[in-house]
Amino acid sequence: MSYSLIYSQVTGHIPYLLAGAWLTLQLAAISFVVGWVIGLFNATILSYGPRGARWFVQGYVTFFINTPLLVQVFFIFFVLPEAGILLSPYAAVAIGMSLNAGAYLTEIQRAGFASLRRAEIDAATAMGFSLPQMVWYVIVPHIAKALYPPLANQFIIQVMTTSIAAIFAVEELTGRAYNVNSLTFRSLEVFSITAVIYIALTLVCSLALALIGRWLFRVQAKVI
Amino acid sequence: MAFLALDGLTASYGGKADVLSDVSLRFAKGEVVGLIGPSGSGKSSLLRALVGLLKPRAGKVTIGDEVVDYGSRASLRAARDRFAIVFQQYNLFQNMTALRNVAIAPTLVKKRPSAQVEEEARALLTKVGLGAKFNAYPDELSGGQQQRVAIARALALHPDILLLDEVTSALDPELVNEVLDTIRALHADGMTMLIVSHEMAFIREVATTVVFMDQGRVVEVGPPAQIFDAPQSPRLKEFTAKILRH
Repeated sequence: MSYSLIYSQVTGHIPYLLAGAWLTLQLAAISFVVGWVIGLFNATILSYGPRGARWFVQGYVTFFINTPLLVQVFFIFFVLPEAGILLSPYAAVAIGMSLNAGAYLTEIQRAGFASLRRAEIDAATAMGFSLPQMVWYVIVPHIAKALYPPLANQFIIQVMTTSIAAIFAVEELTGRAYNVNSLTFRSLEVFSITAVIYIALTLVCSLALALIGRWLFRVQAKVI
Repeated sequence: MAFLALDGLTASYGGKADVLSDVSLRFAKGEVVGLIGPSGSGKSSLLRALVGLLKPRAGKVTIGDEVVDYGSRASLRAARDRFAIVFQQYNLFQNMTALRNVAIAPTLVKKRPSAQVEEEARALLTKVGLGAKFNAYPDELSGGQQQRVAIARALALHPDILLLDEVTSALDPELVNEVLDTIRALHADGMTMLIVSHEMAFIREVATTVVFMDQGRVVEVGPPAQIFDAPQSPRLKEFTAKILRH
């Protein structure tokens, strides 16, 4: 091994990479929020909806969980234009990731609904709570607490998953790392710095999520 | 004049076989009623029916001179105003502190001023021996402590009749006594109670009337001395012969 590390050729590009990291966070946040709403809607249908709607949702979930995200985005980006739907790479990735996350978040939230404690509902009923009071004081706090850790987990997964956007020339962190690599050919330096930025990103997110969880729900989540 | 009267109470879960059939009972104010019988005999179902968690299909419940119609919201609300139930598994709200568990229903449902309710909740928790645990969450308390919070929560509703559903059967033997002591103290205060329990010695000690149920029916009613020492019906004889040997 005669490879000598020369970070100085890459350090000048760090602000450029960090701006990419910002886009990474945006993509993760958008796809998570949209996926969360899709999941909440679907989980409600799976738990309480009519049979036809349940089959439709189950079909969606099965399809998106059992095909690779990359293939899904390829489909959206390269096949939909045939039907006249032209999307920017950023939009295609954001839509693909949202639909994909929606499938996982459906399953997560359905499990949350299923974890409702009959016992607490019985107690509230016997004490004369009205339905809105029961939902607000008993059901929502329970579901929110039960779902917080897996939802936080899914967000971290979304952050990592954004890296597939590089394939579609979206200039998020991995995309920009790829660009810097083409300019400098200092692959080890570029990708080690990129890895450190990813780690910093997820650590900051995990820490923030853990603190929020502790504050909101007394969740004693491990930060690392 | 009976304070609580059940006439021909019949109920089932979703159209299946009756879990309560033709239950008729009468109790006076201040009575402590022990409900005993084998598992599945309808003891717990009877308590659940009284608070409207299990809708009676037929029969009548009268509290004082008020007839409860379990089909009408207003009447059901009035019944829930009179009864408070304590469950086997405590059923505390896990997301609330002990104090909030006790105070929430009086403030939310009965619309009483929160400062007054909170003061009373503190007094009740202190009374059941949890004066140091106001801000503890259920998962930070032992089973016996949780059950005592549940009893304080029921008392905060100022019920006329307290329903206790196997309140000691989920507890370690060592913790059973702390809950039984609480119930003894309530008895001394003159609280009317319906107690479903497998603690026969305890029922014998505190109950003024014992009801033996089997397969959803009332088989025998009488004072503890009769039920435990001189059972009349063959089914109760068989039951006491089995349990009293321990």
